[in-house]
Amino acid sequence: MENQKFYYDNKTVKLFLLATIIWGVVAVLVGVLIACQLAFPAFNFGLEYTTFGRMRPLHTNAVIFAFVGNAIFAGVYYSLQKLLKARLFSDVLSKIHFWGWQLIIVLAAVTFTLGISTSKEYAELEWPIDILLTVVWVIFGWNMIGTILKRRVQHIYAAIWWYLATFLGVALLHVVNSFELPISLIKSYPIYAGAQDAVVQWWYGHNAVAFFLTTPFLGLMYYYLPKAANRPIYSYRLSIIHFWSLIFLYMWAGPHHLLYQALPEWVQALGVTFSIMLIAPSWGGMINGLLTLRGAWDKVRDSAVLKFFVVAVTAYGMSTFEGPMMSLRNVNQMTHFTDWTIAHTHIAGMAWNGGMTFGMLYWLLPRIFRTKLYSEKLANTHFWIATLSILVYAIPLYWSAVTQWLMLREYTPEGFLAYPNFLETLTQILPMYTLRIISGIMFLTGFLIMVYNLFKTMAAGSVEANEAAEAPALVLAGKRKPLNETIHRWMERKTVRFSIWVFVALFIGGAIQIIPMIFIKSNIPTIDTVTPYTPLELEGRDVYVKEGCYTCHSQVIRPFRWETDRYGDYSKIGEFVYDHPFLWGSRRTGPDLARAGYVNGPMYKNSAWHYNHFMDPQKMNEQSIMPRYDWFAKKDVNLDMTPNKIRAMQTLGVPYPEGFDEQAVDDLLWQANQIVAELKLSGIEIEPTKEMVAMIAYMHKLGRDIEPNTNQNLDSHDTGE
Amino acid sequence: MEENKNVDEHLDEHNYDGIQELDNPPPRWIMMLFYITIGFAIIYAAYFFWLDVGDLQDARYVKKSEIHETRYQLASQSSDEIVALTDAADIEEGKSIYKEMSCFACHGMLGEGNAIGPNLCDDTWLYGCDFQSVFNIIKNGNAAKGMTPFKTQLSDARIQKVSSYLLSLKDSKPPNAKGPQGETCE
Repeated sequence: MENQKFYYDNKTVKLFLLATIIWGVVAVLVGVLIACQLAFPAFNFGLEYTTFGRMRPLHTNAVIFAFVGNAIFAGVYYSLQKLLKARLFSDVLSKIHFWGWQLIIVLAAVTFTLGISTSKEYAELEWPIDILLTVVWVIFGWNMIGTILKRRVQHIYAAIWWYLATFLGVALLHVVNSFELPISLIKSYPIYAGAQDAVVQWWYGHNAVAFFLTTPFLGLMYYYLPKAANRPIYSYRLSIIHFWSLIFLYMWAGPHHLLYQALPEWVQALGVTFSIMLIAPSWGGMINGLLTLRGAWDKVRDSAVLKFFVVAVTAYGMSTFEGPMMSLRNVNQMTHFTDWTIAHTHIAGMAWNGGMTFGMLYWLLPRIFRTKLYSEKLANTHFWIATLSILVYAIPLYWSAVTQWLMLREYTPEGFLAYPNFLETLTQILPMYTLRIISGIMFLTGFLIMVYNLFKTMAAGSVEANEAAEAPALVLAGKRKPLNETIHRWMERKTVRFSIWVFVALFIGGAIQIIPMIFIKSNIPTIDTVTPYTPLELEGRDVYVKEGCYTCHSQVIRPFRWETDRYGDYSKIGEFVYDHPFLWGSRRTGPDLARAGYVNGPMYKNSAWHYNHFMDPQKMNEQSIMPRYDWFAKKDVNLDMTPNKIRAMQTLGVPYPEGFDEQAVDDLLWQANQIVAELKLSGIEIEPTKEMVAMIAYMHKLGRDIEPNTNQNLDSHDTGE
Repeated sequence: MEENKNVDEHLDEHNYDGIQELDNPPPRWIMMLFYITIGFAIIYAAYFFWLDVGDLQDARYVKKSEIHETRYQLASQSSDEIVALTDAADIEEGKSIYKEMSCFACHGMLGEGNAIGPNLCDDTWLYGCDFQSVFNIIKNGNAAKGMTPFKTQLSDARIQKVSSYLLSLKDSKPPNAKGPQGETCE
């Protein structure tokens, strides 16, 4: 058969490699900054743009979408071409993909800094950027599938199965989680409310971990690890089993982020059971990776690339065991809302995603630049610093999680919380936060050593933008040969059919949780006394969203005695039916606020307290690490938008009376003036239109609508008298 | 292990950019693990839902709360039996509770009062002059006016100490003291 001549596109790969390196530095730098902020609030710099609440989404998004995202595209585009013996489908699409993705990252950085955020974790981007992201993602898929369709190889290799699952999975997750009603170019409300929004968001959040941080990297592992070790894949059959079981089971496990929270029990149980069932499929990837290295362990000793891969794959195995364990309810009550989760994600992020990316960079970049790595020694130095920094990160935070949890649930012999002031438990763990800064600086140092090493490598070589290659044209093999071709083997050459089955496997888990949550009413038992937010409270809520308060404060109380004694009655599903978006949070760096407005509860503070606290938290509690929000007293709520917001809420089903949008501003000012008058009694002068007033109104709305005594027989704890 | 049979047989035609694949079966233990976890899932669902044996979270909370009540017997003493302490060590402890509970946020470091809460060092009181009144307002609060109830956070004994500390502040005349509020006491 005659060979066809074609050219690999190395330029696109090079661009994505450079973007990975540059954004990686930014992502880690912002990580170090927010680590400093948690230990020393002065690092919030007293500016609204640099507070933790806005920088934390910047860090997570920069790591996930900028650093890891670009690494995925570089790794996929290089291996895809080699595995399919074909140039990328379209140079134009490649170009739009690259520059579109970088534009999204820049827009994300700018909007988060300005406080433009949906508050849904890892999906904080507002709707215009969501749409842009969808378009660029589809271009990526189009480019990839186009390349697959014009391949010169009969079957698609395991790595490509994972790439396809990545594309389809993320597309499905992103689109479903981003249904939102825009009210302006920079503000929207999700169409889901409360518990529904929580289920959709954590179906997304959990599977963003799956299909952005796991499946693409398993695909990369299947290519780069055997390439670097020059060993065959240990088990083709294991590849098949763990691929299908993993992509099917993952989509069900999202509710493990919401255990003991205001969610139907059957949904929580799906989160628990499917997480446990994920252990073996996840380990399948680790085992296939590590067993592929049999006979190559002597190479591991010398090669920084393989060392990074080994640590990455091992950390992947640890994290995918730890994750299911954290999904067991009794373990989750400790790991959730504490630093355990933070340590867990950083082992996965720094060791698995970081390690795979670093290994890939050290292997791939010299090949693209047709030279040798500048210094193997520096790469090994980077390896040891990075590995050590992960330990310095994780161990203190595990320690911190256990310490804080034990303190939070400790009772005195008389039956009172031993540490009733939340701040005491935080002050206790602050030294661990200082250690985390050291870890961050170490990791950053290693990273910079890599940057130096790679730039030296680039300077020594040059890229062949279009690398010549040849291969015979693909003659499609036609019908399945039942005797010597398994169904899977046949599917591997029927790529469209393969993709459809992947999509079916992905679709089921989410559908079974989300559709009943939205359409079956008994899943959301309503409570008559719960009323919609007043216009002023709604404005305050939007400030809460804008400032990212949810990054440190939860708004959901779990049914544990040590939580209800501290925060008030535990949260009920029906309390959140008007919450677009839900704001339950995932880490309590500060106390829970679900009942901050319940007048007779332990969390209630009066208006003057809130005013002084926002102005200067350290004045109220010397050891508080909350940033000051003194601009609340200066900035005005935009009253022009208020009627729009009411109308949007009406569209989403919030039962404001008809025509209420016209009265919204009057209603807002009336309520604001009451708070202004109350503050005046304490000698505080403020105009009614300031954000401060709206925030106080919102704080006083939280959890107010439910009287524990009217609530079945669950009030036994409130009879301390 | 079983996979030693036919070990490392290369699969024909499986060659992707030089990467080959072996025809090894998955290690048996990983498959066993997979089946065990599936079994766990079924048992879990049966235990909590189909057989209705396990307590769901609401019921569990009620049960746990009952255990808690019996263990600690939270029934308080009547405040009539509680009198002001004058022992220096108790007053000192009251002072540390005052700090620990961030009372200073609303009443000042020395009890001088601030924009939020009243002066606790003068001879005027908003909710009554005697020890029992002070004890009661700390315990039960007046949430609408901004005083947090501390009954779920502090034991009677600790409220007694912090109340005693407050009464000891009388005539301490701290700087920046807030003006009088409430009834004047003898």
